[in-house]
Amino acid sequence: MTEPNFDAARLALPASVGELTNRLRGGGYIADRGLATALFVSMSLGRPILIEGEVGVGKTEVAKVLASEFGRRLIRLQCYEGIDTNQALYEWDYARQMLQIRALSERQLDDDDAVDKLFGPKFLLERPLLDAVRAGDRAVLLIDEIDRADDEFEAFLLELLSDFQITIPEIGTISATSPPLVVLTSNRTRELHAALKRRCIYHWVGYPSAEREVEIVMVRAPEASEALTRKVVAAVNRLRALELAKPPGVAETIDWVRTLDVLGATELDASTVQDTLGAVVKDYDDLELVRANLNGIASG
Amino acid sequence: MADGLTKDAPFVSVLVAFADELRGAGLAVGSGDVLTFSQAMARLDPTDLLDLYWGGRTTMVTRRDQIPTYDRIFRKFFLDQAEALPEPLQQAAHKSADTMSTLVVPATDPGQEGQNEQQALGLVAADAEVLRNKAFAACTPDELTALRRIITRMRLAPPRRRTRRTVAARSGRVPDPRRTVRETMRMHGEPAQLFFRQRRLRLRRLVLILDVSGSMADYSRNLLQFAYSATRATSRVEAFCFGTRLTRITKALERRRVDDAMEHAAKSVFDWEGGTRIGASLEQFLRHWGRRGICRGGIVVICSDGLDRGDPHVLASAMEKLARLSHRVVWLNPHRGDNRNFQPNTLGMMVVAPHIDLLLSGHNLRSLEEFAALLPELG
Repeated sequence: MTEPNFDAARLALPASVGELTNRLRGGGYIADRGLATALFVSMSLGRPILIEGEVGVGKTEVAKVLASEFGRRLIRLQCYEGIDTNQALYEWDYARQMLQIRALSERQLDDDDAVDKLFGPKFLLERPLLDAVRAGDRAVLLIDEIDRADDEFEAFLLELLSDFQITIPEIGTISATSPPLVVLTSNRTRELHAALKRRCIYHWVGYPSAEREVEIVMVRAPEASEALTRKVVAAVNRLRALELAKPPGVAETIDWVRTLDVLGATELDASTVQDTLGAVVKDYDDLELVRANLNGIASG
Repeated sequence: MADGLTKDAPFVSVLVAFADELRGAGLAVGSGDVLTFSQAMARLDPTDLLDLYWGGRTTMVTRRDQIPTYDRIFRKFFLDQAEALPEPLQQAAHKSADTMSTLVVPATDPGQEGQNEQQALGLVAADAEVLRNKAFAACTPDELTALRRIITRMRLAPPRRRTRRTVAARSGRVPDPRRTVRETMRMHGEPAQLFFRQRRLRLRRLVLILDVSGSMADYSRNLLQFAYSATRATSRVEAFCFGTRLTRITKALERRRVDDAMEHAAKSVFDWEGGTRIGASLEQFLRHWGRRGICRGGIVVICSDGLDRGDPHVLASAMEKLARLSHRVVWLNPHRGDNRNFQPNTLGMMVVAPHIDLLLSGHNLRSLEEFAALLPELG
């Protein structure tokens, strides 16, 4: 990971919602007014932002673009069931500690300094959260899919997100001089605790309008023709109206356009839809449903 | 920033009034949230309606389902629009909920009169054995009250599964370097014994889906009581009711007093004793809850007689998906009675039979106890 250039203009927080929107656009992310406002409020108040929404609407992408556009380092914590402080915060490098202990002679072990060194920075493995607290406002901390972690972990995050300080018994308290930008995402597989939400600015990301989706796809997959993109977006919107178990997100739209482009397709008819359906619909039951409506999807 | 706030005192009071209005509409807006809202508006342009809308929504709305309410109040407060327009459907639903909830739950709480309590307990002691085997349908209201009291005390223990989280253990295969190093330090660098970690065990989630339609009327109230004791017994329980459509009653059952909880649950069920559309209800469950992982790795218990008025194909495909999503599916069918060699005779039961792991009756107390005893072994 290369450290980005720290030039003041890039690092500065945006002065208005409009400026933020433009800078995100510069990074290839088309944010609507709601998301831009939420991000702006979150950045200027120094509060974490919690982004919930359907799968594939660009929740994670926001954090990445924020990091690159504002010259900050992206620190990502992917949540999963059973994640605990050792994996999220810090851990001692036990293997090296063991070797060090063996290397020290008995006399040296009586020396307090030697023992202190064992629990010093040299043997500390930084995990994402500690890393982010140390980096402070030079980082964007992305806590991805927080709903996958157990609820105990949420309670732990609560403390961290309000103070941005971490206490390591052997070293002391490390606190962020100015807090990092924190983006939390959730797919709503379970309801998050109200207390955590209280700490955050909340934003729900829905599917974009057809017009905006065309714009997004054009930015993300510029190699495809606009005519094809429009057709695909219209078809995806018809798919979303089908009550699928897993409706395609914007990410799927982009995948589909790229797939069609690679295959050199210029038209979207029933047979091309049939051939490339795997790029958008990824659930067996849904595939059945879509195959039954192929003509309607292709032409509308 | 405090200066900015006091300078614009009249404007802040408008914001506070708006927050008040939201509170009145049922959104949980704390004063901290109002403060955040005001701070946010100090950075944004308060005269821009869009900024005002998004500033408020991002700071005071915490769930997706609150958005329509927020929109309604915003429109009313800042745009002076009539309130009635946006959601006629939801309004109607609430109306029908009030009028259709005809369930009268006999009070099982002791209340003030200690003597009644004594009598009721006496009844339980003397007749418990008889009552145990008597079908719920044949019980008098008094007997039902006594039975409910017994059900309340039933304890359910869903089976457990291993999680990815680990805890310290005496022995095992995965070493625990943290504890080992600490112990070594204490022994002045002499490698001490090895410590281990093992996976933690956790209760599987229990999902109860109860049929409250007309054909199940005699049983469904007891099942509701059963659901209540289940939510008391372990925190990982979700309860749903269905007739023609599905209602989630987990929240309603969270009240401390039994009668409050039951009444609340009964009120939230729209189609108490209407017809039965098992397939459509299960499909609804899968779409709104199952897919989001509520029953993944869990035990799903469906209480119904299988008299489905809907399309059997819908029921079959819903059951198949449900069986694939969950760890075990248990079906309680009161019509099975005490007959061990019960053969499913309704079309609905025949359709679902291949997807059920365990079929029990649940028509009297004994069978509910039998279920409670079998539950831990479903792991």
